[in-house]
Amino acid sequence: MNRELNMKTILGDFVTAAAVFALSAISCFAQEKQTPPVGGPPKPFNVPAHESYALPNGMKVTLVPYGNLPKVTLSLVVRTGNLNEPADMPGLADLVGKLMKEGTTSKSSKQVAEDAARMGGAISITVGPDESAVDTDVLSEFGPRAATLLADVAEHPLFPESELPRLKNDAFRQLTIAKSVPQSMALERFRKILYGDHPYGTVFPTPESINKTSVADIKKYYDGNFGAARAHLYVAGRFNSAEMKKAIASGFGGWTKGPAALINQPKVEPKHILDVTERPGAAQSTLLVGMPVPGPTSPDAIPLAVTNALLGGSFGSRITSNIREQKGYTYSPRSEISRRYHDAYWAESADVTTQFTGPSLKEIFGEIERLSKEAPTDAELKGIQSYLSGLFVIQNSSRSALINQLRYVDFQGLGEEYLKTYVQKVNAVTPTDVQKQTAEYIRPDQMTIVVIGDKSKISEQLAPFTPGAKP
Amino acid sequence: MTLRVKCAVRWIAVIASIFVMSLQIAVASPPATELKVPVEYYKLPNGLRVVLSQDHTAPTVCVAVYYRIGFRVEPKDRTGFAHLFEHMMFQGSQNLGKMEFIKLVQQNGGILNGSTRFDFTNYFEILPSNKLETALWAEADRMGGLAVTEDNLKNQQGVVGNEVKVNVINRPYGGFPWLDMPQYANTNWYNAHNFYGDLKDIEAATLTDVQSFFKTYYAPNNAALAIVGDFDPVQTRQMVEKYFGGLKSSQLPATPDLTEPKQEKEKRATKVDALAKRPALAIAYQMPQRNSPEYYAMGLIDQILIEGDDSLEYQELVQKRGMTAAVNGGINYLGNMFNYNGPMLFMADLTHDPATSPDAIIKAWDDPIEGLRTKPVDKEALDRARVKLRSSLYDSMGAVGGFGLADLLASFALFDDNPARINTLVSEFDKVTPALIQKTAQEYLRPEDRTVLALETKSAEAPTAPAKN
Repeated sequence: MNRELNMKTILGDFVTAAAVFALSAISCFAQEKQTPPVGGPPKPFNVPAHESYALPNGMKVTLVPYGNLPKVTLSLVVRTGNLNEPADMPGLADLVGKLMKEGTTSKSSKQVAEDAARMGGAISITVGPDESAVDTDVLSEFGPRAATLLADVAEHPLFPESELPRLKNDAFRQLTIAKSVPQSMALERFRKILYGDHPYGTVFPTPESINKTSVADIKKYYDGNFGAARAHLYVAGRFNSAEMKKAIASGFGGWTKGPAALINQPKVEPKHILDVTERPGAAQSTLLVGMPVPGPTSPDAIPLAVTNALLGGSFGSRITSNIREQKGYTYSPRSEISRRYHDAYWAESADVTTQFTGPSLKEIFGEIERLSKEAPTDAELKGIQSYLSGLFVIQNSSRSALINQLRYVDFQGLGEEYLKTYVQKVNAVTPTDVQKQTAEYIRPDQMTIVVIGDKSKISEQLAPFTPGAKP
Repeated sequence: MTLRVKCAVRWIAVIASIFVMSLQIAVASPPATELKVPVEYYKLPNGLRVVLSQDHTAPTVCVAVYYRIGFRVEPKDRTGFAHLFEHMMFQGSQNLGKMEFIKLVQQNGGILNGSTRFDFTNYFEILPSNKLETALWAEADRMGGLAVTEDNLKNQQGVVGNEVKVNVINRPYGGFPWLDMPQYANTNWYNAHNFYGDLKDIEAATLTDVQSFFKTYYAPNNAALAIVGDFDPVQTRQMVEKYFGGLKSSQLPATPDLTEPKQEKEKRATKVDALAKRPALAIAYQMPQRNSPEYYAMGLIDQILIEGDDSLEYQELVQKRGMTAAVNGGINYLGNMFNYNGPMLFMADLTHDPATSPDAIIKAWDDPIEGLRTKPVDKEALDRARVKLRSSLYDSMGAVGGFGLADLLASFALFDDNPARINTLVSEFDKVTPALIQKTAQEYLRPEDRTVLALETKSAEAPTAPAKN
């Protein structure tokens, strides 16, 4: 192997040439370079088959036999979350989730924990803006037993008064910590500016709301929001289907229907604001820059997703190539389309070296403007389309990823067709579409710019980004 | 993977007596599923260790290249260099310029990453399986030679500087305890230096450092290649030979002495974190020799003590005493108990209120440990730990796109020359007896063997009564 030789050749070239010429010197070798092998023909991929049905009380069930590992994941998704909290009680839903883990009417929390552990799992309860989930992940042979345990936790929570003070104290501590993390601080500002008083605008509970929460509030929330009509159980992995169905029917069949899901969509307008929060001495400025975009049910949703992947949503994307790989301003910049129920915003986030706060914003907006004026080449777009097509396979190739996909489709009401036609739709997007999507929906002149950083060092750099400022 | 699943689930009645219950569970539990991971292992004449493991569940393949050079062994005046170097492996090789490696993988529908750990640096791609050859070519290309420039290096020094800032310098609890604790608990420089690196060391690195590090460690006889997923083994062997067979092996330097002297006395240290609003505490113990009976026992002790809500420390510190909301912990914070080779810490950490003193927490922490040290663990608890461990081992194997399995196989190839041991791990844990648990706890969980690191907030004004906030 000629590693030594090759090294010397290249080293020799740029050691003698000025740095500027080094890159072109190397690219002179382009003709001599090998071309990567293209590989074989693609194999067909279909989302693993799943079976969906409803129990008589309205609870939905989806079973996905998948994989070789002897494990099974069960996820009970209930359509309730911070959206359902009274305005003066942010964080109530989170406390409900925490107190639900403190035992059932027939088992102490320790018994529940040990039961789950004996199956190789643990009960986890997560609460989001729109949904709450009670999950476990166990060895296959215990799958049906896990369904029984999940049903008990979800349907018969004890809500013991005795545990609430401890959980509230934990919640205070966690709130204090979360509010000192710059990325969380940025998210809190961004959501508040975008969504205002709508529940999506509140990321954190307040000490007051935690303090005043009583078991009565928790029970009232639970009774008003938990029930079969809002629930969907996903089971993915290896399991005995007949036994699983039996356990699900007996565990969840008696659950009361409960109320239908609350629909409360925010009316969102772009808010062109520069919002800076002081963080003295910060070594980096934490940026969160974005604006509302059409939601998941819009025909533009997939073209927008393709546009995002090309612009900032992948390692090789334009913004990342620029502010990370060319400029070295940041380590992990990324853009994303963040989604809630029939609602979405586009945002770029990055933690950038303090002295390059202004230049980073300039480059981010510059890349957006470039894409809004000039369509990408076919080759660049094709690369992103192949990336998203491959990613789709990976996103459907593990128990939890499969559940996440199905859960997203069900939650947004996209229908079975969505997963079947996704890749085709991704590949139907044209370079002009990408340009138009950018020009129409990702507009620097309408964006909310949230910065968490050291004002004394960044105020001047940020001045040109104040709405109305002359560039 | 092939495996046999015997699904016969029987529900057993709850039986009052704990003794009888544990007996009943042992007898009446459904038969455990057996997992046998297919492992093909061989070496190329140039020393490259190759592991193949087929799994045709999805049309994807994971290609992982592991170099036996971690951050422990990096030049002493260049802390953080192994990690900076990892970044340089994405900056250009013989046939791929800057960004071309990343784009090649992405444009073929794949994802990629690299990471630097205690005893290895890894690079991996997950791609649609028809692109296996593309990935092998690209990995062989960068194993064959780097083509990086001063500009690339300067750029990545900026990126890595920002990585250290975002993960350590600019965040509360940055580096706590994963980066901090080894520096307090260990005494041998190789185990005790700042692995992420001082910013000035990162900035001081030169292109000559990069080339010399590459020449020293990035050779086929210092690497393992794991391929997991949907592939044809015959064709794959041919491709591996075609692309990696011509790479030259190198004369590897002798591994420095990595051993940690036996600790005689408890160590206590304090770190002030100006960004943190609540104190935190970490406790670490030196692990027994990897792959010894005591090592497997510690794997189960970890399950008994700190993994999951049923664990003794969770029950003690969270549930009973309300000192914290969660006890984090485990063996090897930068991986798992299998993917390292040198000395290692068994560690736990938690955040707490200013009103709770570290001493009070340590006193409470010691209760369950004393229990393990003074009497044999009951069979039910040990069985539960075994089930949890098996379940978590399968999760490690099941991580995204075959990468979890590739990680274990490559580690076992590099460190044990035996990736097939993936199929005997469970039996090693099965051999652990209550007596061995007790003996291991007595020897390795002594207060004299531990390091306690307390993280203190800078200002005492942090509100302790949030209700009045």
